[in-house]
Amino acid sequence: MGQQKVVAINGLEIQIQRGSFTAIMGPSGSGKSTLLYLLGGLDRPTSGSIVVGESALDQMDENELAAYRRQKVGFIFQSFNLVQSMTALENVEFPMWFSGTQPKYRRQRARELLKQVGLEDRLLHRPTELSGGQQQRVAIARALVNDPALILADEPTGNLDTQSGQNIMLLLSELHRNGKTILVVSHDTRMLRYATDVIYILDGRAVSEAEYRATSELSM
Amino acid sequence: MKLLDLLRMIVDNLNRRKSRVALTAVGVVIGTASVVLLISLANGMQRNTASQIGNMGDLTTIYVYPGMPMEVSARAGGGGMGAPLENPLNSDAIEQISALPGIEQIIPRADLMAGSTIKFGKLETWAAIVGLPIQDAGILGYTAKEGTTQLERGAAILGGWAAKNFYDPSLRPGQEPPPPPDLVGQQVRVVIFKYSEDGQEIRKTYTFRIAGVLTEARAEADNWLLVRMDDLVPMNEWATGQRANYKRNGYNQLIVKASSVETVVDLTKQITEMGYMAWTPQDVVQGMNSLFTIIQVIFGGIGAIALLVAAIGIANTMTMAILERTREIGLMKAIGASNRDVLSIFLGEAAGIGLVGGLGGVLLGWGGGKMLNLVLLRTLTTQAAESGGLPPTVAVYTPVWLPIFAVLFAAVIGLLSGLYPALRAATLEPVMALKYE
Repeated sequence: MGQQKVVAINGLEIQIQRGSFTAIMGPSGSGKSTLLYLLGGLDRPTSGSIVVGESALDQMDENELAAYRRQKVGFIFQSFNLVQSMTALENVEFPMWFSGTQPKYRRQRARELLKQVGLEDRLLHRPTELSGGQQQRVAIARALVNDPALILADEPTGNLDTQSGQNIMLLLSELHRNGKTILVVSHDTRMLRYATDVIYILDGRAVSEAEYRATSELSM
Repeated sequence: MKLLDLLRMIVDNLNRRKSRVALTAVGVVIGTASVVLLISLANGMQRNTASQIGNMGDLTTIYVYPGMPMEVSARAGGGGMGAPLENPLNSDAIEQISALPGIEQIIPRADLMAGSTIKFGKLETWAAIVGLPIQDAGILGYTAKEGTTQLERGAAILGGWAAKNFYDPSLRPGQEPPPPPDLVGQQVRVVIFKYSEDGQEIRKTYTFRIAGVLTEARAEADNWLLVRMDDLVPMNEWATGQRANYKRNGYNQLIVKASSVETVVDLTKQITEMGYMAWTPQDVVQGMNSLFTIIQVIFGGIGAIALLVAAIGIANTMTMAILERTREIGLMKAIGASNRDVLSIFLGEAAGIGLVGGLGGVLLGWGGGKMLNLVLLRTLTTQAAESGGLPPTVAVYTPVWLPIFAVLFAAVIGLLSGLYPALRAATLEPVMALKYE
């Protein structure tokens, strides 16, 4: 919030394949979350360019970015970011309010997705009545609701126990098999088992696996 | 975002925070209720007064009295000896006034210039004895409670109040007063008296047949005994001991009828400029109207202060809500809400609080007005009966536009007080908002 200028990402040049499952690995403060938010159109670069599909995000105005977030991306957060006063069903329906989907279809679609993530018996529970893993599955259902091509996950397993984290990774992997492009920011090395591509980031730059390992071991 | 969805979301959001919305809305309820109640009260006062003024006479009537000549009143110290102090209402004056465009009729009036008592059997009453050269008192806007307004020679029409006030002078305290007599078609004696040079009272009695009794109108005519001008002239000649020459010396008053309501105020001004004193009930109506406009503005202002306080309450609640819901706002943006969506939602919530408060306030103000009406009408009617006035028709009057205006106004107040918080919400940086703890 301060006025101090922080350079999170500088001189980073990467390409991510459509239909890939890309893991972005890096220590905290390396700029990996910023990269994710830039790709999701939640943040804007001060310079440089970001192209997702045909969309040049750095050229878009606020409204176009909102439309991009609405249609093209689904976000998954470390802290789930569910609305506490809404039921699981309402949380999944939430994005469809802004996309102008018919109310009848909204409910049906949300049910379908919650069933897909295995929560058909938790439709009317509020976030406080769900476990962390269940909350994250609600969030995944919410990310899928507008059928985006790109799923962006920011430490999706960071707040979960090992088993729940494993389940979430399996769920993401399944989405990948169904044709979604998945981009996961994590420092959970188990993620590498499901990823098709890995990008290592140190201090806002992409580095090779070898350099990354060398630095990580040095700092340990 | 679709309008219907937006409205539903606003209602849902307000529903989720019932107690806070209710508490914030209480401020608006009080503000709106006081606006509605106070303006209704001012309106009721105006209606009441207007209905009583309406009885004072036809709004096309101008009453003209003899006036000071312009040169005299302009000169300090007044005119010299022998100069007339007044502009008399003589035939010149009548000619001059009737030359004005839009004058329909001029009725000169003469008053009895002596003391008088009206007797009926052993009952007595008092009335101002007024002579008019007319055949029908109806042209002055008076209506008959009993009998007719037709005025023939030898007949008289009695004002409603004078007719009610017959009393028995021989009655001892404690005795039951006699009921008001049925006068129409009956002869009354008018006893007039003057004093001789050595101080002796000299009386003379005239007899009139009562043709009708006027409906009480809270007007001067309530205390009249109206006779034909040609019946009054001999009475005044006896009282003054001189031949009457009204055409030269002037009448007591001219009753001027204008052909339309619109020109009355203007005509009154023109007659005043001629050097006479002219007055019309419309002056009073207009004066009252501007007075009540001022009262309404003051009353409305008091209510507006209450509403202003309520508006600050809404702004505060919304600012707090935005702090609390920062993450929710960030999330809304992440899942594709545009800045406009966020702005609309928070503005809508603020307006919703205003609307809820406005509706409550209108109900409270309107209901309070009804209650106040019951209480006030009873008190005012008792007061009016004691002071001899007409009973009031209404104490608190809510015009149809007021509740509608008040509800909309409250909603707009809500909207305006939500403007700053909503703008803040809409322009939150999504990444910052999502990280907010």
